[in-house]
Amino acid sequence: MSLFSRFMDGWRKYRKPGYYDEFDYHWTMTVDLDSCTGCEACMTACQAENNIPLVGEEELAKGREIQWIRIERYWEGEYPNAKLNFMPMMCQHCDAAPCETVCPVSATYHNQDGLNTQIYNRCIGTRSCAVYCPYEVRYFNYYNHHWDSPLDQQLNPDVSVRGKGVMEKCTFCIQRIRDAKDLAKDDDRRRVRDGEVQPACVQSCPTKALTFGDRKDTESQVYQSMNNPRAYKVLDELNTDSSVVYLKKVDA
Amino acid sequence: MPNIDRREFLKLVGAGGVGAGAGFMLKESKKDPTEYLIPYVVAPEDFSSGIATWYNSVCSMCSAGCGISVRTREGRAKKIEGNPSHPVNQGRLCGMGQAGLQVLYNPDRITEPLLRTGERGAMSFEQITWEDGLGQLAERLELLRAARRGNNVCLLSEGTNGHLAQLFESFMRQLGSNRLHHYDFDHPHTLYAANQGFFGQDHLPYYDLQNTRLLLSFGADYLTNWISPLHHSLGFGASRQRQEEERGRFVQIEPRMSISGAAADEWVAASPGTEGILALGMANHMVSQGVYQGADRADWSAALSDYSPSMVAEQTGVSESTITRLADDFAGTQPSLAIGGGAAANHSNGVDMLVAVNVLNYLAGNVGREGGLLFNPQPAGTVSRPHQASYRSMLELAEAAQQGEIDVLIINGTNPVFTLPAAAEFREALDAIPLVVSLSSFFDETTVLADLILPSNSYLESWGDNFPEAGVGFRVGAVSQPVVSPLYNTRATGDIILSLAQRIGMSSTIPWTSMEECIKDGWRRIYEQGDPQTLAQGFEEFWISLLKAGVWGETTTGTTSFEPDQNIIAGIGVAAPEFSGSEEDYPFILHPYLSPNFHDGRGANLPWMQERPDPMTSVVYGSWVELNPTTAEELGLIEGDLVDIESPHGQVLAPVFIYPAIMPNVIAMPIGQGHSEYGRYAKDRGANPLEILSPQMEPITGNLATSATRVRLVATGRHIDLVKTSGTSRDLGRNIVQTTGDEGHEVSDARLNSIPITELT
Amino acid sequence: MEAENNKLGYTDIHEDVVRSIVVTGPKYYATLATAGGLALVCFFFPWFYQLYYGIGAAGMNHPGVWGTYLASFIFWIGLSHSGTLLSCVLHLTNSSWRKAMYRSAEAMTLFSLVVAATYVFVHVGRPWFAHWTFPYPNQWELWPNFRSPLLFDVMAIATYLTGSTIFIYMGSIPDFAAVRDRTVGWRNTMYSLLSLGWRGTDTEWHRLHWAYTFLAVLIIPLAVSVHSIVSWDFAMSIVPGLHQTIFAPYFVVGAIYSGTAGIVTVMFVLRKYMGFEQYITKLHFDNLGKLLLVLSLLWTYINAIELFTGWYSGTSDEYEQLSFKLFGFYAPLYWEMILFCAVAPLLMISKRFRTSFVPMLILSIAINIGMYTERFLIVATSLPRQYLPDAWGFYAPSLVELSIMVGSFAVFTTLFLIFVKIFPSVSMYEVKETMETPKLKPAIPQAGSPA
Repeated sequence: MSLFSRFMDGWRKYRKPGYYDEFDYHWTMTVDLDSCTGCEACMTACQAENNIPLVGEEELAKGREIQWIRIERYWEGEYPNAKLNFMPMMCQHCDAAPCETVCPVSATYHNQDGLNTQIYNRCIGTRSCAVYCPYEVRYFNYYNHHWDSPLDQQLNPDVSVRGKGVMEKCTFCIQRIRDAKDLAKDDDRRRVRDGEVQPACVQSCPTKALTFGDRKDTESQVYQSMNNPRAYKVLDELNTDSSVVYLKKVDA
Repeated sequence: MPNIDRREFLKLVGAGGVGAGAGFMLKESKKDPTEYLIPYVVAPEDFSSGIATWYNSVCSMCSAGCGISVRTREGRAKKIEGNPSHPVNQGRLCGMGQAGLQVLYNPDRITEPLLRTGERGAMSFEQITWEDGLGQLAERLELLRAARRGNNVCLLSEGTNGHLAQLFESFMRQLGSNRLHHYDFDHPHTLYAANQGFFGQDHLPYYDLQNTRLLLSFGADYLTNWISPLHHSLGFGASRQRQEEERGRFVQIEPRMSISGAAADEWVAASPGTEGILALGMANHMVSQGVYQGADRADWSAALSDYSPSMVAEQTGVSESTITRLADDFAGTQPSLAIGGGAAANHSNGVDMLVAVNVLNYLAGNVGREGGLLFNPQPAGTVSRPHQASYRSMLELAEAAQQGEIDVLIINGTNPVFTLPAAAEFREALDAIPLVVSLSSFFDETTVLADLILPSNSYLESWGDNFPEAGVGFRVGAVSQPVVSPLYNTRATGDIILSLAQRIGMSSTIPWTSMEECIKDGWRRIYEQGDPQTLAQGFEEFWISLLKAGVWGETTTGTTSFEPDQNIIAGIGVAAPEFSGSEEDYPFILHPYLSPNFHDGRGANLPWMQERPDPMTSVVYGSWVELNPTTAEELGLIEGDLVDIESPHGQVLAPVFIYPAIMPNVIAMPIGQGHSEYGRYAKDRGANPLEILSPQMEPITGNLATSATRVRLVATGRHIDLVKTSGTSRDLGRNIVQTTGDEGHEVSDARLNSIPITELT
Repeated sequence: MEAENNKLGYTDIHEDVVRSIVVTGPKYYATLATAGGLALVCFFFPWFYQLYYGIGAAGMNHPGVWGTYLASFIFWIGLSHSGTLLSCVLHLTNSSWRKAMYRSAEAMTLFSLVVAATYVFVHVGRPWFAHWTFPYPNQWELWPNFRSPLLFDVMAIATYLTGSTIFIYMGSIPDFAAVRDRTVGWRNTMYSLLSLGWRGTDTEWHRLHWAYTFLAVLIIPLAVSVHSIVSWDFAMSIVPGLHQTIFAPYFVVGAIYSGTAGIVTVMFVLRKYMGFEQYITKLHFDNLGKLLLVLSLLWTYINAIELFTGWYSGTSDEYEQLSFKLFGFYAPLYWEMILFCAVAPLLMISKRFRTSFVPMLILSIAINIGMYTERFLIVATSLPRQYLPDAWGFYAPSLVELSIMVGSFAVFTTLFLIFVKIFPSVSMYEVKETMETPKLKPAIPQAGSPA
């Protein structure tokens, strides 16, 4: 390549978070708002899988919850025509993530699977990523957390326990993705198949409102969802290029 | 092998066995430093550092009986997932199920057998040995049995089924006692009675939500806590995910919007207790419009003559046009399904109301077909339903105690002091019982009053089995096995009963020495009734494959046809609901509902459940009382104002929450908080609405009419800041949750967002 | 001014300034002890408590992850803007009224920057790793993220700090020499070292003037860029109410405004307590007052723009944030800010007001209170009102935060108090330039001239 085209190539890569030519996988989640009942099974499953700390009543009163996936509530109308809509909200793993540009130490970056990853031991706790995230899905550890023994026996050894001063958020259960990729690699170097890896929330959802997969795989469920006429993205107008596709609730 | 005694090391049974805990015995204080790094020099067979071992079992957090697969690492339980093979939950699991880990690892578990030393309720106990505890109890039981006063022994247990329930039955029978009671607050007595009364079936039918195209739910919060919430959620999801016209429609009829109400396409507010009248109004319309063309049409017409839509509209507060529209839709959409439960089933007219729901199903032709109501076969194992105690039975028990007819009360896992209203005076009745024994794992309100505590293992440490009473249309059974070795000096409930049986000399009828043996033996009998293919494998193979799969099934189905009796038809009718208290003194109707987080209060000691926001209100770590916005305005109350909720039988204090979807004269409170004991996470937190309920009963079953209490609100002038996680629950025109009916919203071109980065413009 | 200074001679200024350094009374020690004590108790102890327990000691939460630490950081950077910037601009325009006050103003800049830098360590969750923001060779082969506005911050402030230090030091060299020549003992040694052997030759003066002017020209755009960059911490986010192009000018104007008010305050104190009444006069206050008035009008204009953009956008996001700012819980603070920073400064239209010392002092403090409020409101009213209403929250500072805020002023005061005893706080050689060259008596009496 000529010097100029090398430069232009580098420039194109530089403009994209992660600087990749192409992602290995492109993990995507679909949330069917028509099926979500707001039961919050996903929240507890996530807590169990990812060692989410128990913040306690006092800290919750100060507004310091840590909920990698949360259910938002939006009431519509008034009695007797009131309706309640639930919106599961987790890290959208945006391809044009505002949080990635602002971290001064690159503790958050886009990896080769299209995931927005948080490196706990690099984080110095400026909390600017939480400010820049329009979905407000980043949570800060204001204290070191404590589990009354023996509740700590339940902690998942595949996931770090975060100390104070560090930012955390949904990782699409990257430990499960890594495991699945490892297994697939051992198994004749194939790719991970659709449905082989599910984050804890997707696995637990009683109505199957959540699906997860690789949108590069055109046979996958998530790829079909993206072509569903009901598909949309939350705060799409901000052009964050999120990886979570929501399916509109049906008015019937 | 260093530092591993026999108790820690459990024998392996194929791949379904149990790995010994990684030395996690709290008594073990001194460990060699190398043991922290490498816990075992010679590790148990299923223990590989860094590799998880999965065990199948059955969840015991509610009575649905979902199958679970538990991930263990180095002998510790890490994560509970649904068992994909189990037909009830098909690999999915609710939040309470996930929180089972916190039952196992709860810091407030009772770790040793205890004997009371001070006053009852003073929480002064001394540790004793199992020998001692079992010996004392066995002695007392033997004395009573010998004196032919075995009936003075009462076993009051949480609902169980399978071979443990069978063991309870045998044991009590051998003792000469007919006082075996299972007491679950949420047991659907009225539903069973309605099914018995109308269909003549003594077990529940299968409600095929998955295939239905219109569900009418009269008060049943089927997604959260009605019979088998996981299975219904699966059905709901499947129904929603069908394409376009096939998509199921869900209508909820209740005075306060529950989670199922929020998920529904339409929420209809009917006056509390009039849901059955509404159902009959719809039935009347269906018959009078000629939709129902059965031979007994005239009988139906006569029976339903008092329930014309116009009359019903007045009684229920639902407009005539809505009633007729719902009836037309219900009859016109095929298949459709009507269900009933929740508060609606807990009124003085609960059984009649549920019969009315069955009537709707019958008239619309839903009975015995896919997408409607299918009859279940008899469960393969013992169920506890025959021994489920209604409120009336509990009153009778209390009365018997007061009369000195109860010498020994053995409590297992149930908490009547918390779930019965103060008016039942159950706590006072306990005072009259000389020996109260508890087999529970936690110091709940009932167990603190015990004289002798023989703590049980948690369900994750026990052998057991389960035959889901709700059924899935065919026979299902599952074995639950220990996933970790017991953490403390506790024993499986079944093992406790078996030890007692041994000591009292019941070995001829109750020969097993361990629960594992008992269950295995029980399953041998099931195996022997299997088909030739199953028999060919041999029992050991069968047992191993049963544990590996975590579930067993048989395709026997229930009956498919049904004809109602003429007498039954003539007897159809729903009386107006009765309430305690006068309307002038007590202008509001109290609507207590099972909390999604705590169920009937059992989940309040689980920090995950306390910390999880309530799905409808997002409140954490507390209680609240829900008020209609207009009502609140009239009373001059805002969110967080503390009010006294007074019934004719007591009062509780709670902060106000403004709830947009509740009738103006109804106030609602979640059940589950307000514990005075039950561990650090539950104690002295919130208010228990069950305390102040009036002792209204449904006459046929004796079921407590929990929704029949009138109350008044008295502002205290105090205010607290409700701890909630939601900010402003209105989307302020930002269209965050979009619906297909949104006008003028371009469907975003969400396709092909895979980024070939080199195509960047 | 000339008329007043005509009475003063070179000796007077030397004596006054050296006396201010050398003569230390009990009042000084008492003040220093108080300031130092307050700094320790109000700033350092709560900070160490926070370091031990975690940022939870402050009032930040979700989504209000930024609080008074960041607001104070910006406030102190803002204060730092006037000293050096003003000094440079006025130097290039050859104005004479800067000469008496610029040294202290530059010192103010320096110490504000130091306090602001300390605030970075207070604000960040794991300050013991803050050095990772610097691009030093490391075994992970990691660079910091150069696209981050926070990193621009680090670079800009480091540059500004370095530049200001060099600037103030260099400008003080002749004065160090002057003090060296008039002190003995350890002071003499110290000033000999500090003055780098200055002899006052023509070449040296020439070089000094050239270097000083060079730096002055460099620092002006540097100062403008520093606060623009700090504003981009906010403006580069997509938070409603923060994502506005007006932010860079807003912050720069605000900084100069706040810094100039700070100078007025410092000048008043110096004048009164260091005996510099002769050097810092009504003229200085008059000119500072005019500058403040202009800046106030600019600031008011920019605020109006902010309101206008918010309203004009017509989106719920912007509108709700604006509404919360103007009419929500913190509304009293907002209107106090408008009163102190937009309305009250209009008093300076009157020359009589501008030349009255105590009213100017009160006004300058009021302006800084208002400016601090502005920074606080930027943080506290934007983060709790973002795009998803369900995630809205509320932020209020905790006691630890308020204590550290008070403590930061004590830290600044302590540093400044130490400064006045080491640096000549009024620039002797520059003030001498405004004085009449003294007439020397002839060495040999000449016939016919008076003896």
